[in-house]
Amino acid sequence: MSKFIEFENVSFAYRDEDEGTEHKVIENLSLAVDKGDFVCVLGHNGCGKSTTAKLCNAILLPQSGRVLVDGIDTRQEDKINDIRRKVGMVFQNPDNQIVATIVEDDVAFGPENLGVPAEEIRRRVDEALRQVEMYDFRLSEPHKLSGGQKQRVAIAGIIAMKPECIVLDEPTAMLDPRGRREVMKTVKMLNEEFGITVVFITHYMDEAVKAKRVIVMDEGKIILDGSPRKVFTQVDTLKKAGLDIPEATELAIQLAKDGVGIRKDVLDIDELFEGLVSLMEDKN
Amino acid sequence: MSITVLETDKLTHIYSKGTTSQVDAVRDVSLKIEQGELVGIIGHTGSGKSTLIQHFNGLLKGTSGSVYLEGKDIWKDKRNIRDVRFKVGICFQYPEYQLFEETVYKDIAYGPKNMKLPEEEIDRRVRKVISYVGLDESYLEKSPFDLSGGEKRRVAIAGVMAMEPTVLILDEPCAGLDPRGRETVLSLISSYREATGSTVLVVSHSMEDISKIATKVLVMNNSRLAYYDTVDAVFTHADELYEMGLNVPELTRLFIKLREKGYDVPADVYTVEKARQELLKLLSGRCGK
Repeated sequence: MSKFIEFENVSFAYRDEDEGTEHKVIENLSLAVDKGDFVCVLGHNGCGKSTTAKLCNAILLPQSGRVLVDGIDTRQEDKINDIRRKVGMVFQNPDNQIVATIVEDDVAFGPENLGVPAEEIRRRVDEALRQVEMYDFRLSEPHKLSGGQKQRVAIAGIIAMKPECIVLDEPTAMLDPRGRREVMKTVKMLNEEFGITVVFITHYMDEAVKAKRVIVMDEGKIILDGSPRKVFTQVDTLKKAGLDIPEATELAIQLAKDGVGIRKDVLDIDELFEGLVSLMEDKN
Repeated sequence: MSITVLETDKLTHIYSKGTTSQVDAVRDVSLKIEQGELVGIIGHTGSGKSTLIQHFNGLLKGTSGSVYLEGKDIWKDKRNIRDVRFKVGICFQYPEYQLFEETVYKDIAYGPKNMKLPEEEIDRRVRKVISYVGLDESYLEKSPFDLSGGEKRRVAIAGVMAMEPTVLILDEPCAGLDPRGRETVLSLISSYREATGSTVLVVSHSMEDISKIATKVLVMNNSRLAYYDTVDAVFTHADELYEMGLNVPELTRLFIKLREKGYDVPADVYTVEKARQELLKLLSGRCGK
């Protein structure tokens, strides 16, 4: 698989000019995200997740090392539009990302800025709204939508720019359970059906289990990297990093310790349920 | 005998009444909240949760219906509404954005100062609440802006606690925190209630959080009160909650599924430890057959 985003020995610190202090956030980070992958990034607050996200489309630039997006070095100023077109960002608060008073105008904002011809914009806006299942709301006022709906409009605004990759920084943190389900379903669909590369930052373990690859960060470094099944069985490392493991996994591990013949690497309640039922039926 | 501390009677709130953008945010809500309960408030975005809680301290006045605090209609005498706001403290979402003083001490003291309390009393309260939120006194002289996000959140919550409200309302106190931060805030809410015996209302989107700390659950759906009952009773309505855009805690869902399959397990399971015990019981029972 070809690499789409590459971090090569990247370091980044936030500098306070007044006080002359420096707060190192990312240190010597190397990471490659393959084209078409769905990567979830976990870590406690302040571990460098959001900084990493912002380095992916040149909102921040590395102070040492380099970041390549589809082979383009993000420090090349004249390429910034290409980079932003390739990698779209969705943030936590949907209210801060919506600029227009009508849903379809908001979705058109990105492609308009890219100088896309009017007819093409129309086509892209309709298509993007259909993809996120918000087409019926195209003439609605964004402020009247639910959090999950607004966040899907924000995602539509990004996909109307035809990015190859979307980076989402805690897009579900402010949403209710339905909103979270809707956003996750949309993102998974964009990845699976349209091959869009996804980098998804979250605090919710039940969302992370749906990714193809999970990266756990601590103190600006990667401490775990692999499939959800591989990562979530590393209980001690996760707890040390201030994270939880999914309750289903924790329960399965406990039961296995108690001598119950159940697999320890279950990721959700449905898998655990299947495991328990087959165990019970065997015993009958 | 339990004492009712907060009561609403057919409370209704309509935004922009009589215009084309009229929204019925709260419809006909009647409920009684007892002294000392820890109530989890859940409901989808736009269900009316935030509008409802703003009636409890008179930030909003119902279009119709009444709100009673300790048996008294809060709007009976408008001059008393300031008192009501001291008695019912609301800590809004992302309260750390409202920190503004030079030191943590001054920020926490801001509320009690507005209550015109004597200096010594303010000092006593500031020192007490900083411990409630799990920070030590060395934090008092720090600038709030030098703290981590989780610490700022706790200082902001302490600022409301310092007013010693009869009812403390927290709107999404864990939003945006990482798992460890969530756990800290949840346990400080529980221990605050135990230490003070006050009534606490917590708005949350996390059914897991609610199931771990609440004694009662209040569910809002499409501007109406759907349920106000014990945690166990509310989470038996799994299908209805899902319909409302909510869910039940993950572990509870496992036990509901097992029951549907015909296994004899309880449904009121919210913690890994309880789940483990129940499953071991179930499995050993089978072995003996």
